[in-house]
Amino acid sequence: MSESMIKAYHRLLTEKKLSCRELTQAYLQAMERDNPALNAYVTPTPDTALAAADAVDAKIAAGDAIGLLEGIPMTLKDNISTDGIRTTCCSKILENYVPIYDATVWELLKSQGAVLLGKTNMDEFAMGSSCENSCFGGAHNPHNTGHVAGGSSGGGASAVGGHLAVYALGSDTGGSIRQPASFCGVVGLKPTYGAVSRYGLIAYASSLDQIGPITTSVEDAAVVFDAISRYDEKDSTSQGRSGEPVSSTLAKGITGMKIGVAKEYLDGVGEDIRQSLEEAMKQYESLGAEIVPFDLPSLKYALPVYYIIACAEASSNLGRYDGIRYGYKAENYTDVNDMIKKTRSTGFGEEVKRRILLGTYVLSSGYYDAYYKKAQNLRGSIVAAFEKAFAQCDVMLAPTVPTTAFANGSAVSDPVETYLTDICTVPVNICGLPAVSVPCGMDRQGLPIGMQLIGRRFDEEGVLRAAYAYEQISPAFPKAPFGVTL
Amino acid sequence: MVTKEEIMKIAILSKLFVAEDEIDRLTEDMQEIISFADTINRASDAEGDFDSITGLSNALREDEVVPSYDRERILQNAGDSDDGCFLVKNIMK
Repeated sequence: MSESMIKAYHRLLTEKKLSCRELTQAYLQAMERDNPALNAYVTPTPDTALAAADAVDAKIAAGDAIGLLEGIPMTLKDNISTDGIRTTCCSKILENYVPIYDATVWELLKSQGAVLLGKTNMDEFAMGSSCENSCFGGAHNPHNTGHVAGGSSGGGASAVGGHLAVYALGSDTGGSIRQPASFCGVVGLKPTYGAVSRYGLIAYASSLDQIGPITTSVEDAAVVFDAISRYDEKDSTSQGRSGEPVSSTLAKGITGMKIGVAKEYLDGVGEDIRQSLEEAMKQYESLGAEIVPFDLPSLKYALPVYYIIACAEASSNLGRYDGIRYGYKAENYTDVNDMIKKTRSTGFGEEVKRRILLGTYVLSSGYYDAYYKKAQNLRGSIVAAFEKAFAQCDVMLAPTVPTTAFANGSAVSDPVETYLTDICTVPVNICGLPAVSVPCGMDRQGLPIGMQLIGRRFDEEGVLRAAYAYEQISPAFPKAPFGVTL
Repeated sequence: MVTKEEIMKIAILSKLFVAEDEIDRLTEDMQEIISFADTINRASDAEGDFDSITGLSNALREDEVVPSYDRERILQNAGDSDDGCFLVKNIMK
């Protein structure tokens, strides 16, 4: 396995074989050339990037040591607040919104010298699995632009898979980091609920949302995770981490590790995907791990439970968009109520309105007990089932998605049909667990397949160690024909 | 069964307009989604322990007055403002 991208660029920068300005310009030029095909970026930030690059070059010229992420070109999903840089959530309702503060994750990375290339495309308010619910049009798959990048963090995955950024930060409420990572042939880590501050992340469903990295290798995912996983007093769910950095534990190996496989996860999975996963299981056994099969019957309720809870929380979180304090405001109204209704009705897209209506429905008098309360109780049962499963295994192996990337335009027609593709990713959010998607093959159409490794709460080390061990012996999968080649 | 009347009521609660030509399709969509959500009612009434879902305890801090964001900058994102306040049309006549 070759050196990770972050480490390779860090070495080139410190050895003065490449200046940070040259590196940044290479990415900016590639973006200009390839972004029209991928639509990964919605707001490029070349001036911000070059200013940060020059600061890093000045430091290197002065003989100062630089950190691992210093000078590395990256992106942020467009729901992560950036002081002075437009942050739209890819929604008409926030098309002109410019935050006046930074999200904690961006503050942390900026202080570590990150070079922000731009803000990336997403499904509006992170609601979707194809990125096609974006008011800027969807991001495309770098392995085949006739297919979607996935969602909701489709822009970040397309940028990293298409070599238009070294890493991206996305957010994952029901699979929105892992699913596009799987579709675009890259690594996507959804950290434990509470491991990374969400301050400045524009909320979708607060009991499920989590920020995490999208990278080209497991090692880079660990490096970025280490950089953003800190206690933050501005997020009441923030816990911080103690102990050594996860990135320094990856090479410990997995001898004796118990990898659980629930048969329910494999039901209805495409043939190419099943074969890739079975091959990966054999490779794990050859590395000294033990595959432990078990049943997880409550998994079948995870998807409806997820949609009920996520939409209920969304209907409340999105109540703040009223056209008064920020964002788009409708014209020609008779009174305040009329203004708010017109603003929301024309500012939100179809899927967002559908989820607000569903959320309001399940919380309304007469339906609350049958849907919302029942879903919360079942959520508790699913958490308990996962806890029981983790008594038998250290990590779980599952598909990330039952399919590979959909063809453009095929996901938007039937809402429930589209929701069903989230079946393998939502249980992790319901239980607040960490999980990573790593590339594990290509299907017969040449589209990437992802494998998911799920761990106990705050055991990012376990999932990343398992993913790293596999990555070291897996074959090199084809690279997408876009972006920077250095 | 989700009815058109229910959708209209929910839309009012959600502060959304539903156009006449949207109502049939939206009712159909909602019916499909609600039927899907209904699968949870086939589960036995196992009471989960709601409090242990995230396993986290709240991270609390002292309630102290600290400097916050600049009012002028906050108001730059508002459609209309006047004298340091957000401006809206008369709510009461």
